[in-house]
Amino acid sequence: MFNKNTVAAGVAAFASVALAAGCAVADGNKADDVDITAMSAEELAEHLIFETNSWRDQEMQEGGTWRDRMTQDDIQKACSFDSTRNDLDGETAGQVVALAREQYEAPEGDIELGDWRKGAELADSGYGYRIGHNVDDHGTREAGGNCYNCHVMDSSVSVQGTIGPNLENYGAQRGDSQEIRQYVHQVISNPHQYFPCTQMPRFQGLLTEEQISHIMAYLLDPESPVNNR
Amino acid sequence: MFKKALLALPVAMAVGVAGTAAQAEWQDPNDVLQMLLEAQPDSKYLHQSEMNIMMMPDNPALWLLDDGERLFYEERGPNNASLESCDFGKGEGVLDGAYVELPRYFEDTGKVMDFEMRLVHCMKEIQGFTSDDSAVSQRHGSGSDIMRLTTYIAHQSSGYEWNPPLDHPKEKAMRDAGEVLFFRRGGAMDFNCAACHGASGKQIRASVLPEMRNSQEWTKAVSWPAHRAGQDNVRSQNHRIRGCVWQMRHAGILPDTPVNTALISYWNDAARGEPAILPDLKR
Repeated sequence: MFNKNTVAAGVAAFASVALAAGCAVADGNKADDVDITAMSAEELAEHLIFETNSWRDQEMQEGGTWRDRMTQDDIQKACSFDSTRNDLDGETAGQVVALAREQYEAPEGDIELGDWRKGAELADSGYGYRIGHNVDDHGTREAGGNCYNCHVMDSSVSVQGTIGPNLENYGAQRGDSQEIRQYVHQVISNPHQYFPCTQMPRFQGLLTEEQISHIMAYLLDPESPVNNR
Repeated sequence: MFKKALLALPVAMAVGVAGTAAQAEWQDPNDVLQMLLEAQPDSKYLHQSEMNIMMMPDNPALWLLDDGERLFYEERGPNNASLESCDFGKGEGVLDGAYVELPRYFEDTGKVMDFEMRLVHCMKEIQGFTSDDSAVSQRHGSGSDIMRLTTYIAHQSSGYEWNPPLDHPKEKAMRDAGEVLFFRRGGAMDFNCAACHGASGKQIRASVLPEMRNSQEWTKAVSWPAHRAGQDNVRSQNHRIRGCVWQMRHAGILPDTPVNTALISYWNDAARGEPAILPDLKR
């Protein structure tokens, strides 16, 4: 599900140097430990994440360890630039779009919409994948879509966020053709195909295809309150 | 004189004194807040809660100060020692302005330490507490020793400008790594800190988010300890990091670890030059 790379090469090389020198591994910020000033900022950040026992030893909801979850894949790496001071450059944007297209799995045949009522619940739910001092148990409650965190979808029902675009009347403005459904499925599943380095998560793998069909119904079904604003 | 007098006065009286002191000196937290509100009348973040602004003179965090002061000067722990010999970076027992000059490099440990890391270090080394003692194991909540001490010690820096030192190469290294961490996308949902703190006036549901590049929003954002009205508890910078990392669907961060220190180094540096609100009141 998560297409992770191994730890950055610089860190791997660095770790082997530390081992060769016989340095202690734990608590990498000690004087008798590694020399943090000999690393680039990027190397030190990776070192702090992976070599200083900074995380609880827990199994992630998607399987795997903290190490798996904290290891960046290629899209995460490419999008880790200072977005407050730099625009995404065209070359990186192209690479990210290509990576996203490669990751995306299109559904077979025509796309059917689910139940917009279930989609509304999923859009509101911020449950799922949180771990640490308080663990979301997917066995007792399904993960949600977190949509309201960032998008206004139906401003009559709840307080909704503004990090992403307002989606009120989304389907009313665009219709409900197969082409639109395919596009919406692509954006929910892996939005980097159209918006490289967007802040939005890639929901393919986080939500089931059935859950995605409900959220799509919430956006596109003419009966959905989203389309009657 | 102004500062000393205020410290000696009961809180209820202290908050009535109008702050006209220079920004590098102690100022009442409410005076600092009012100054920021006036400086940025259009900041949605700073102005988001009229209720909290109104409540600021009666900030419940202020009621931790007496307990914090007692815990600081009391002889405690297996070694029956006070924390007066603890060096927060400006000399043993010197608290004035110490909180806003952290994290910093400490010769005695050979590493860069954030405030909570340093406080725990002193409670262990000087007072003899161990990790199992509730005095150091309980990190969160207004009833914890750590939060009472944190609130008292931080309050001695209220109104001082954030000024974490970057002279030592390790201080610079940790700050720079913190910057990388701030923008490092990862976890189950690909978030980085900038996803929420990179733009002005954005909201997650009802919360208006502080923008990291707006130093006057950011000084409020990093001004912990703060009473969180929604949680009815005084919270720390480390508690904020834990909450953000949890919401971001990264892994479960542990206390006293250098990922915290690096992030706080970057946070406090991003608020450099702005006065701290200590303690603050947040939603």
